[in-house]
Amino acid sequence: MENRKSKYVFIVLSVFCVMMIVLSSVKDGLMNPIRNTIGYVLVPLQEGVNRVGFGIYDQLRERKSLKEQEEQNKSLQEKIDVLTEENNVLKQNSEELKKLRELYSLDQNYLQYHKVAARVIAKDSENWFQVFRIDKGSRDGIRVDQNVMANGGLVGIVTDVGLNYATVRSIIDDESRVSCMGIQTSDNCIVAGDLKLYEEGRLRITNMKKDAVIQDGDRIVTSNISSKFMPGILVGYAIGIEEDEKRLMKNGYLIPAADFNDLSAVLVITDVKSDQFQTKDSSGAEPAALSETNPESSAGSSAAEGENVPVVEAGSLPESSSSEGSETSSGESAESSAPQ
Amino acid sequence: MGETIRLKGKFSKKLKNRRVRLLIHALSLIFAFLIQTSVFPLIPFLAESPNLLLVLTFSFGFLHGNLPGMLYGLFAGLLMDMFYSGPFGFYSFIFLLIGYFNGFFNRFYYEEYLTLPIFLCVFSELIYHIYIYTFRFLVRARLDLPYYFAHIIFPSTVFSLIVTVFLYRFFFSANRRMAD
Repeated sequence: MENRKSKYVFIVLSVFCVMMIVLSSVKDGLMNPIRNTIGYVLVPLQEGVNRVGFGIYDQLRERKSLKEQEEQNKSLQEKIDVLTEENNVLKQNSEELKKLRELYSLDQNYLQYHKVAARVIAKDSENWFQVFRIDKGSRDGIRVDQNVMANGGLVGIVTDVGLNYATVRSIIDDESRVSCMGIQTSDNCIVAGDLKLYEEGRLRITNMKKDAVIQDGDRIVTSNISSKFMPGILVGYAIGIEEDEKRLMKNGYLIPAADFNDLSAVLVITDVKSDQFQTKDSSGAEPAALSETNPESSAGSSAAEGENVPVVEAGSLPESSSSEGSETSSGESAESSAPQ
Repeated sequence: MGETIRLKGKFSKKLKNRRVRLLIHALSLIFAFLIQTSVFPLIPFLAESPNLLLVLTFSFGFLHGNLPGMLYGLFAGLLMDMFYSGPFGFYSFIFLLIGYFNGFFNRFYYEEYLTLPIFLCVFSELIYHIYIYTFRFLVRARLDLPYYFAHIIFPSTVFSLIVTVFLYRFFFSANRRMAD
């Protein structure tokens, strides 16, 4: 009797689960309200547990021998000297670059993305998947497909957002694919996560053209043709580039710039790549999209506006372009529209 | 007359006991989930961590039978589904399955008899990992099962086994105390 009852319950629940799988596969975001509600309760708990864990761990780490610290201090001091000098040179260069950019009206200023810092509060404890959760959500302006960085390198992409949390898939996850390019030559390639290579601290580089000139040690950055990743973010360094057996493509490996073993804080880039398409595609939705991505008008936003104004004009809408100009009311846009 | 009152008292006490037990089980589930997602990954020298939720699910099925095991599994799976993006219900289904099938072994349950739980632990872990492998890796033509077995499935099973043995000592004593 008891057995039969539980059999029926089992069948009903199994069918329910399978239905949920099918439904949520077909329609994305169907379950988000439920996930949000549960996340709202669980995330503060996760944060608390995490903080306690970190507290204990930090105390243990503080007992690291003083000598080790002193040695580190010394080497760091030397490094600072070298870096200060390098910095001076770079500053000069950047001034020069700025002037040149203005000359060429290069409005896509890489590495000027808006970022939000977040803490990693939970990770997948199994090694099948490399996903983690951060303590910032839609309340803090996090959205799906925003890129995540740490240690100056790309870490992953936001796949799921709740009110006060977001889930990030690392680039070392087996399902991750990032469209990249070499910084010197702009040869495109795909950087793919691979569970087997991850233990050696590597990713796979594939789909590189045979005549590409990426060499070992080259910096690999996110490509400007990627649909989800902002261009120009450092991903890592190429190694072991070789032609494949069929002599059609080149393959190799990549050492990531970010340290995935010790992720505790990350930066989320709040600009989203698909917004850029929108601003270029439809002139009507432009002001809304602009105000969404750049709430405070900074140097970056004025550059973006400068980019958009000519597009509107190309769409032959004189009234809207004039209203656009009055809205932005920056000298730069007036200048860029004058020659045309 | 006195008999009925005594029976009533017994009944309400039983009900209260049951509620307390339910609360304890729910709390243990959430606690295990928090530990598994927020504490284990922090420990740097722990390359692989035990799957606490799985251990709890199969233990629950084994100790309490099909129906409770199944429900416990469903809730454990739902927690996992809440945490990960991807198809909703993926984890619920496998946890439901594990809770249900371990419930069949409830009739062979004797205290202080560890061989069967160890066998069930290994069996559940294998089923669980093969399920993940098949639907998330094999479908993308990742065929190297021996590698995955050696690097993920085997270490995870060993860790879970250790936890199972420790947990069973605790479970037995806790269960006895609750029964009193």
